[in-house]
Amino acid sequence: MSKPKVTFYWCASCGGCEETVVDLAEGVLDVVAAVDIVLWPVALDFKYKDIEAMADKSIAVSFINGAVRTSEQEHICKLLRQKSQLVVSFGSCAGSGGIPALANLTNKQDIFTTVYLDNPSLDNKEKKVPKELSREGKYDLTLPSFYDTVYKLDDIIEVDYYLPGCPPTPELIAQAVGAILKNQLPPKGTILSPNKALCSSCKLNDSKPEDIAIKEIKRVIDIKLDPSKCYLAQGVVCMGPATRDGCGVSCINGNMPCTGCFGPTDSVKDQGAEMISALGGIIDADSSEQLNKCFARLPDPAGTFYRYGMSASLLGSKNKKE
Amino acid sequence: MTTEFNPKIVAFVCNWCSYAGADKAGGQRLDYAHNVELIRVMCSGRVTPSFVMEAFEKGADGVMVLGCHPGDCHYRTGNYKAKRRFTLFQKMLSQFGVDPRRFKLDWVAAGEGAKFQKVSNEITEEVKKLGPLKLTGFVKERGNDL
Amino acid sequence: MEEKKKTILYLCNCGKNIAEFINMDELQTWAKSQGNIDAVEIHDLLCAPNGKSFFKEKLNASKAENVIIAACSPKMHEATFSKLAEEASVNSGRVLMANIREQCSWVTKDKEHATKKAKHLISAALAKAPFLENIEHRSLECLTDLLIIGGGVAGIEAAITASRAGRKVYIVDKNISLGGHVITTEEVAPHMECAPCMLAPRLAMIKNDPNIQVITNAEVKAVRGFKGNFEAKIKVKKRYIENSCIGCEACFPVCPVERKSEFHLGMGSTKAVYTLFPGSVPAAAIIDDSLCKHFSDKSCNDACVKECPFGSINFEQTDSELIVKVGAVVVASGFDSFNPAKHPSTATHLKYGELNNVYTINEFERLAASNGPSGGRVLLKDGTSPKNVAVIHCVGSRREDILNYCSGTCCVSATKVGHMLRKQDKEIKVINVHNDLSFATPEEYSFYTKERTAGTDYRRSTDQSAVKLASNGKAIKVSAPGITSFDADMVILATGAIPAKSTPELASLLNIETDKFGFFKSASSLLEKTLSTIDGIHVVGSAQHPASVGDSIALAHSATAEILSSLMPGRKIELEVATATIDKERCAGCKLCISVCPYSAVVFNSEKKISEVIEAICRGCGTCTASCPSGASKARMFTNEQIAAEIGGLFK
Repeated sequence: MSKPKVTFYWCASCGGCEETVVDLAEGVLDVVAAVDIVLWPVALDFKYKDIEAMADKSIAVSFINGAVRTSEQEHICKLLRQKSQLVVSFGSCAGSGGIPALANLTNKQDIFTTVYLDNPSLDNKEKKVPKELSREGKYDLTLPSFYDTVYKLDDIIEVDYYLPGCPPTPELIAQAVGAILKNQLPPKGTILSPNKALCSSCKLNDSKPEDIAIKEIKRVIDIKLDPSKCYLAQGVVCMGPATRDGCGVSCINGNMPCTGCFGPTDSVKDQGAEMISALGGIIDADSSEQLNKCFARLPDPAGTFYRYGMSASLLGSKNKKE
Repeated sequence: MTTEFNPKIVAFVCNWCSYAGADKAGGQRLDYAHNVELIRVMCSGRVTPSFVMEAFEKGADGVMVLGCHPGDCHYRTGNYKAKRRFTLFQKMLSQFGVDPRRFKLDWVAAGEGAKFQKVSNEITEEVKKLGPLKLTGFVKERGNDL
Repeated sequence: MEEKKKTILYLCNCGKNIAEFINMDELQTWAKSQGNIDAVEIHDLLCAPNGKSFFKEKLNASKAENVIIAACSPKMHEATFSKLAEEASVNSGRVLMANIREQCSWVTKDKEHATKKAKHLISAALAKAPFLENIEHRSLECLTDLLIIGGGVAGIEAAITASRAGRKVYIVDKNISLGGHVITTEEVAPHMECAPCMLAPRLAMIKNDPNIQVITNAEVKAVRGFKGNFEAKIKVKKRYIENSCIGCEACFPVCPVERKSEFHLGMGSTKAVYTLFPGSVPAAAIIDDSLCKHFSDKSCNDACVKECPFGSINFEQTDSELIVKVGAVVVASGFDSFNPAKHPSTATHLKYGELNNVYTINEFERLAASNGPSGGRVLLKDGTSPKNVAVIHCVGSRREDILNYCSGTCCVSATKVGHMLRKQDKEIKVINVHNDLSFATPEEYSFYTKERTAGTDYRRSTDQSAVKLASNGKAIKVSAPGITSFDADMVILATGAIPAKSTPELASLLNIETDKFGFFKSASSLLEKTLSTIDGIHVVGSAQHPASVGDSIALAHSATAEILSSLMPGRKIELEVATATIDKERCAGCKLCISVCPYSAVVFNSEKKISEVIEAICRGCGTCTASCPSGASKARMFTNEQIAAEIGGLFK
């Protein structure tokens, strides 16, 4: 019997999701032994045309990480969808846009202007900006087109399962791969991580007072966090209450508050909005003056509450009509 | 043919003060901008920023959250919670390319029919000046990309 | 999958109120074309008797389970239609109103606009309909007994009234016996009724009433629960005297220790074993262990023990704790009086405590009382009768820097001074220095005019906060802007009422609010006058605002009537239906909903590590749901899904 074919593909991402596959350590050997990898651009040299030549649904599962923001990424995602029985959205960027999707607060033109023209450290006297088509002698050189919008994977193709996280943990990946190999799959569309907020696993939750009240929001650099007390109760924005469990509470165990990479639980439509609502509820300030002071150390609320979720948000996603 | 822009305003109103204030405006026949439409909740403390975003996302040009005056909340402190939440929310709104003037948190008592009329007309006028909500250069429909 | 529920839409013309401003034909045609409406019925006046029968008839015929009524405000007729729907076996949780009258036809001049708006409002209700859920009417057995905090006249009257209806009453006072302020008063103005004569029979009734348990020298330490089901923890402090004491006072003469009497406001004395006054309830005396010789050198050889015919003295007594379960709480914790020595402005101007023969109005009451420290004779420090007495109104009151309100009771008390002094000696001249006068009833005002005619001289200053007292030989010089200075040999300060010292602590342990003046706040200044900001806890007497004796009693009776009629033995109490609920599978126990609940209705279950709503306390504001960032909390009738759908409906 031939081994199931598997692809790993990356879109707009940092590469961390690829790293986490390697973080399976010797477990990765079991995976490699059990499956036949047919595309993995970061590690192995396969060609798109090899995939194009394959029969539809001949790939067992494609793991796609990264957000979608270029025509090439869109094309390959669609190709992999066509050729795969299952598509797993891998990591925060594919799931909800991730860090790249913060670009949804601006647009292609502004990004290009900043990156290629305005940056003080640039040496670009000819003011060259990437173009989709340029002529080099007798050759037409093409680049994929760059989108105004950063999309999550399921804006582009149908997704069967989601592995959340920036990046997903090796444990979750191993569980997911195990479930696929044993064909013990949950209903389609499932996010393969517990459907409760992180506080349920956080060891600091016991220290959180029931009458929690914050007079002033602080940044991590403003205070020395007491590692034995709930960070939110210490005035630092910890996204734990608004974020799905499953990461192993690794940031908090590393003395950093949760920044929300696992995304919200199933019943929440907009992670950032709900966190603002929850945080607003425990603020202990009433006058506009007190409130301004309270929020003074929160200069980038959108970046704080939507760090990984912009493409899934109500206002920063593809849903927004012009 | 150009038609006059009539901004659509969604107002989330608490049952005890502001909804009653809007009813009072009705009782006194105080007509106001016809595109102001209300969603009743029990308390302004029930309103989360996601409702406001939902309204903008669905096409509202302006959104109001109206509650009891400070100190008069039927549930004691819900309106204070609303103020804290929406102060933070409003701080963020412009990051999404939404002019903060499109959102208003205010207090309208049950007897303040005239105030309800006033705040409704004021936000309508303000938003009229701003024009229809569009997020220039921000996230666009797919058609714009391809 | 659940079968789709049928939806019926009623359109009400409301006579001309809606039909004249909205194109009802168009609305009806539009509604019929909507895929999600199974029946559209229009009526001229749905709330009229024939409209109601039409409503039920059509509802039964349609077999609809969701009902939308596009008519007036839900505040007007939601209850009417919910009831009709229930009668037709449709759950009232599935009844929605679209307010096309108050918020549409009455406020939109253009008919076309109004018709369009009506469609939006109906669309919103239609969009919400698939998410509607049945609501469960829940009721709860209730306790019907009362805890009364404060044993002044208001507390006493509440206790007697409730007991008469057969309720068990626990009346708790921090003092060693009941009576409050009124028992320290000789006569109550304006009718000059004898206060002890009024109260003594009431105290006797309480003493002999098996339904009333008097708990004095005690403090309420904790109150938990909700209307119909409170549990209170009361700390009863040791008094070293057992209940067998009948207050015979046999031990008093043999006690060698003298101490200042609090009953006489420090102007008289008692022994270390004492009662506040003869005939107190309870009768039992108390021993002041800070002074009693038994606890120091034992030089008295426990003389009192030998004297006591009932063996009531018990030096081994300890504090005890009492738990009581009641259905309602009445807070009758009274007031304190402004102390002019405690504020720099009044202290400098009036030199209270420095100058001889300057007394507060409360001290005057004691001096004039027949059971007072001077046997009812108001005398100067040198033992002679005063000849010229000044009464200063508004001490501490009506000032932005001290008490920014009028107590409304001191003018009558200040007027009483002249009355009582002339009863003692017709020749005493009394001058009241005031800036304004406040009399609440015709009787109070006529008392004032009568006293004025009888000889009290009212002089109006232009600024009461600038009244100054100064020593002038043996006399006290009284000066104030707008009047000529004069000499008096005694000055009475009509001090304002302030919240009792215990108020903040009580407010915190009862979780009830205080107003901007520091008194306990009413749920509503009119309809729910005696109700605090928590259901089942009432506030009466001067704990709510400075009140006359008559008003205090009336408030006590009013609160008791509310309690007696809403908590009936054998009758269950209906609970709020639109409460919040927490999905225990989804709750991560982040606790953020707990602190936002204004009623402490959300609690942490430390065993399951999740938050839970005590639905009997929840009043359904939904603030906790807005604070739940993981979607575990649900505000019934106003869920996230319902509201999102409703928003979408407005844009159809």
